[in-house]
Amino acid sequence: MKPINKMKIEFWSISANESFARVVAASFAAQLNPSINILADIRTAVSEAVTNAILHGYPDEQGIVQMECTLYPEHIEIVIQDFGKGIDDIEKARIPLYTSRPELERSGMGFTVMETFMDSLEVQSEPNKGTKVIMTKRLI
Amino acid sequence: MDIRFGKEGNTLIVYLDGEIDHHTSMMIRERIDSRFLMEPVKNILLDFSKVTFMDSAGIGLILGRKSKAASVGGDLKIRNPRPEIRKILKLSKIDSMIV
Repeated sequence: MKPINKMKIEFWSISANESFARVVAASFAAQLNPSINILADIRTAVSEAVTNAILHGYPDEQGIVQMECTLYPEHIEIVIQDFGKGIDDIEKARIPLYTSRPELERSGMGFTVMETFMDSLEVQSEPNKGTKVIMTKRLI
Repeated sequence: MDIRFGKEGNTLIVYLDGEIDHHTSMMIRERIDSRFLMEPVKNILLDFSKVTFMDSAGIGLILGRKSKAASVGGDLKIRNPRPEIRKILKLSKIDSMIV
């Protein structure tokens, strides 16, 4: 299917950018006039993916997080990518309530929220090369 | 995020105003924990009337404060969450904490 619009941004892996990223993604998706509930789901899923990139991609250093949104006639694809530490075991990371950072009071629900709130979720990761999260959501 | 506190009997009421994510949850955690230590209370009631966004960082925040309350024989409840926040509470199986 042919895209009708596309945007790409990158920002530092600092936590203040979590709200920035989710507002930008929801604003971009709003071009197709989706419901408020759909926009809320996108905001939440993007917040989870960006938080994961910041916390787990770059636990000991500052790095770059990229977000690319592609708008299709009826859905949006959102790709969030870091170039940091990577995930050793993706299947384990996707288990509800699993967290590698319990000291931060993380609930381990990040991937579960992304899976539930979006229509599809794909996670690609390689140790020391980074992690790419690809999500889609039907907008109309 | 703005936080105000109130007290009813042995319950600390926390009025949250703004967004709860990983960025804000660290500050919220510190503010609630220090107030909970200062007040002669054992329960915590989180008032979500003015919370406009919450992701799973909020779940960790809630469970951590519930554990603090439980350590002194108390409990934690949540009131007035928006529908989209109720959805994430339900997904995390803690919607029973809503009063």
